[in-house]
Amino acid sequence: MDRNQVKKWLESPAKMGHKYSLWAVYFCTGCGIIEVPPVITSRWDAERFGVLPAPSPRHANLFLITGYVSVKTLKAIINTYELMPEPKYTVGFGSCPINGGMYWDSYNTIKHLDKYIPVDGWIAGCMPRPEAIFIAVTHLWTLIDKGMAKGYIKYRENYERYRENQEKALGRLEWPPLFPVKDENE
Amino acid sequence: MLVKAILIAAFSGAFFTYLLGKASAWLRNFFAVLISVILAVLISVSYGKSEQIAYFSFLDLSLVLRINLLSWLFAIAIQTITTLSVIFSLSYMKGKERTDFYYLMMLLCNAGMLGIVLSGDLVSFYIFWEIMSWSAFLLISYNRGPALSAGMRYIVMSLIGSIAMLIGILSLYATYGTLNITGIQSVMDSASGGYILFVSILFLIAFGIKNAVWPLHIWLPSAHSEAPCPFSAILSGILIKMGTYGFILCLYVIPGAALYLGLGGGILRHVLVVLAWITIVIPSFIALMQDDAKRLLAWSSIAQVGYIIMGISIGTGLGLVGGIFHFFNHAAFKALLFLAIGAIEYRTGTRDLNSLGGLIKKMPVTFIAVLAGTCGLIGIPLTNGFVSKWLIYKTLILNNHPFLAFAALLGTWGTILYSYKLIHNIFLGQLPERLKGIKSAPVSMRLPFIVLSAVIVLFGILPGLPLSVINSITTSFGFEPLNITIWGITSGSGHLNTINIFAAFLAAFILVWLIFRAGGKKVNIPQHSSYAAGAPVPPEKYHYTVGFYNPLFRMIKPYFRDIADDFYSQLVKGLTVISDRVRKLYCGDLGIYLIYIVLFLSILVISKIGLKLW
Amino acid sequence: MVTTIKVLEIIASPLVALIIGILFLGLFRKMMARIQWRYGPPLIQPVIDLVRLFSQRGFSHGAIFDMGIIISLAGTLVLILFIPIGGMCPLESTGGLLVILYVMLFAPIGIALSGGGGVNPNISIGISRKLILTLSYEVPFIFIILALMSYYRSISIVEIVNAQAHFRWSLFSPLFLSGVAYFMILPAMLGIRPFDIAGAPQEISSGAYVEYGGKYLAFAKIEHALALFIIIALFVNLFLGGGNLLTFLLKMLAVFVTGVFIHAVFPRFRIEQATKYLWFWPTIISFISLIFIQLIRWQNG
Repeated sequence: MDRNQVKKWLESPAKMGHKYSLWAVYFCTGCGIIEVPPVITSRWDAERFGVLPAPSPRHANLFLITGYVSVKTLKAIINTYELMPEPKYTVGFGSCPINGGMYWDSYNTIKHLDKYIPVDGWIAGCMPRPEAIFIAVTHLWTLIDKGMAKGYIKYRENYERYRENQEKALGRLEWPPLFPVKDENE
Repeated sequence: MLVKAILIAAFSGAFFTYLLGKASAWLRNFFAVLISVILAVLISVSYGKSEQIAYFSFLDLSLVLRINLLSWLFAIAIQTITTLSVIFSLSYMKGKERTDFYYLMMLLCNAGMLGIVLSGDLVSFYIFWEIMSWSAFLLISYNRGPALSAGMRYIVMSLIGSIAMLIGILSLYATYGTLNITGIQSVMDSASGGYILFVSILFLIAFGIKNAVWPLHIWLPSAHSEAPCPFSAILSGILIKMGTYGFILCLYVIPGAALYLGLGGGILRHVLVVLAWITIVIPSFIALMQDDAKRLLAWSSIAQVGYIIMGISIGTGLGLVGGIFHFFNHAAFKALLFLAIGAIEYRTGTRDLNSLGGLIKKMPVTFIAVLAGTCGLIGIPLTNGFVSKWLIYKTLILNNHPFLAFAALLGTWGTILYSYKLIHNIFLGQLPERLKGIKSAPVSMRLPFIVLSAVIVLFGILPGLPLSVINSITTSFGFEPLNITIWGITSGSGHLNTINIFAAFLAAFILVWLIFRAGGKKVNIPQHSSYAAGAPVPPEKYHYTVGFYNPLFRMIKPYFRDIADDFYSQLVKGLTVISDRVRKLYCGDLGIYLIYIVLFLSILVISKIGLKLW
Repeated sequence: MVTTIKVLEIIASPLVALIIGILFLGLFRKMMARIQWRYGPPLIQPVIDLVRLFSQRGFSHGAIFDMGIIISLAGTLVLILFIPIGGMCPLESTGGLLVILYVMLFAPIGIALSGGGGVNPNISIGISRKLILTLSYEVPFIFIILALMSYYRSISIVEIVNAQAHFRWSLFSPLFLSGVAYFMILPAMLGIRPFDIAGAPQEISSGAYVEYGGKYLAFAKIEHALALFIIIALFVNLFLGGGNLLTFLLKMLAVFVTGVFIHAVFPRFRIEQATKYLWFWPTIISFISLIFIQLIRWQNG
């Protein structure tokens, strides 16, 4: 952890700020959320690293998708993701967002979350232990340092593709496009 | 001569407007504005004059007019508010019926008020008082329907006051033979304290009813909410202040400060400040429970009148300056608020706080007007309301009346709550679907907003301008003068320096704004993109306006009711019951009437001849 | 010469307030963590948070949204200039304690106006609860202030501070009960548990701050730090007798640490419970104190 290195702070304060002040939206997405309270309370203290639960997506810059994603939850996840301010990072937690996991043949879950919102990193496991969240956070720091955690930029640039996938899964969307979309009818 | 010219112009202008209205609406509107502006100019020109003119005499009473600095201050306030209301009415009354009558009554009311402050003897005072009262009554009942019962309440209370005043006037005439104000001033020293107290109480009942002091305020909420908006502005802004003028007349001009403070062994002063206490506290909290914007503002007027009466009746120079200045300020911001609500009613057709919202984008000038008005009402530093309230607080605290200061400070907090409710429910939040197409306020409505907002801010930053005038007034009553510079007051302990506050605030604002610009970029998003726990924002009402202070309502509702209103209703019910019983005497049966006659004659005969009672 | 000192004071006061306020925020989180038997973030964590927030692209709901938060922070900065900070008081001769009470209004009203730009009901509920809470603690607070101004016969805060020199603190004078009442309402003024109703993260998703992202949240946090500083500074000035800069900051630290201890053990009140509490014991105690001061003053003639 290079939080004490003043030189790095002076070189790129934004990157260091994002690394050591990751606020996770406290959106209890699925079954994996049971692993999060031990992480943020006294036993495995996440506040040491600056990770706090944020009550509103506007305050947050980390989105932990914990557990399986049903179709209904996908709507809420997309809405919450679009409300977060940039730069923002997403981490898929558990095997279900990666490839469907235990619900690989269910009619009601999303198998590949990557098609609908950009994901910067995955944590495999059914449920991973709380220590895995810390490993994920440290990996995210390395990615931010190297400038490789660019999920939000991918979302902005390929928004049409993401929106197409979202509409395929959810039908007609009730909210307007976040970024201007070229209309095929024009 | 100038005084006569003012009154003649005012009265004839009113009637001439009505006649012109029969010919052409545009001509009438133009003339109404013209006569108001001419009157304003005439009054501004008469600053500093001090004269007394006899203009009529009948039944060996000579009626005089007079003008001095106090009259000038009230007259300029009256005329400014009326001019702005007339300009506002140009758009507000477009397309309404009986507009000639409306303008006639408004200008007649204005003329009556000018007459009140310019009259030099009590008969003229009474005549102009009555003209003002009934023209106001006719205008309150202008929109038929519920306005009729509101007007009835107003006129009954007003008549009770007028009759009390008439008894006082007749008693004065019977005792002293003169009704000239200067004449009565000179005989006050030789009068007995009890007699002055008796006459003062009669006059104070009249002025208290007009001024809506606590037990006599029941006419105000309905009257102000049912009257047409420009006239509500005049009602709240200056008509009830005619009671304040009467208070000053009755407590300081005629008896003089020393006599007033000694009246009834100081009891009168104590009673007045206790009534002012109740008038500040209870209506401030009743106001925050209202759902109708104009009713909220009406209750707010009653509360602010409490401040004025507290300042006037406390008996110190600082308090009197604070009270008179607060009258002047309250006229500005209350008129501004009523006119702004008028603009909203004109555009949206409603003044129900539960169904409006988000109008800031559609009516930005109205929003700034309401913001300036409410900032003045609350008494935020840099507005004129702050200076007058600061004076009142200072006099209460330094003269060791902490329980009265408590009421004054608590009233401000009630004011903050209901002012925010007003701003929030009308302008902030979500714009309802049905209001998406409304337009901004018309130009003739924006002009009064700009003028009054400028007055509020200007007299907040440079309070010395009006304060020097008011200082001269209080010095003429015998109090010692305050040390007033153009931006501050230095007297006793604790100075006020508004230019410092202004400069500090401006510097801080610029600094923060620069930091804001230098901070990260921002993305402008529409209102419907908001946190709704993962769901899209519902297109119908999503923001919270109904029951805005519900937890507080539930706690204070049993204690903050209009107890006076309940008392009067019970009184009326009791009187109705008694009258009903008395009515049974009129049974229509000739035989019973003959028995009444015989009984009465026999009682007369027995008492005269038998018992020799008389 | 005098003007240069004044200019230096005007620049130094807000800087001291900002640094100490942010230090207090960091100290708060560290102490809470240690009380809860965990390690907690470093003391400069609020600075890291602010850096991160300033580098995010916040969302704006319109002009009033921007203007409101600017007015709120500007008002708080101006307020600092009126409060004596260990002997520095740049704008002392401008109206005294009454001006302070009224400039304190800029902060919540600024946030209230700004929050009105967003549509969220959480914002309106948060603001309405904040205003009700402020009204609730103002009732005993007014009694306390009136007792103070009556006892010292002055409305100027600098005079009150100077009268408390050499250990004649208000807390040890006949104003003792007022001091006790003030300490009882201090958690409500600071917005710490049990009274952090206005910005409750779970019940109303941070209330008025729910739509703030990026630099708006940064401004809100700075304003929170400054407000923390101002309220504790007011208590120290009025009841614990100012003093020079070092003693002043030590006294503030003592009050703050006590506040953190209270915050750590209490749950959150509902707004009705808060109002009922604040209008009951603190009001009664401060009222009795005011009557007591009046009796003393009446006796002394």
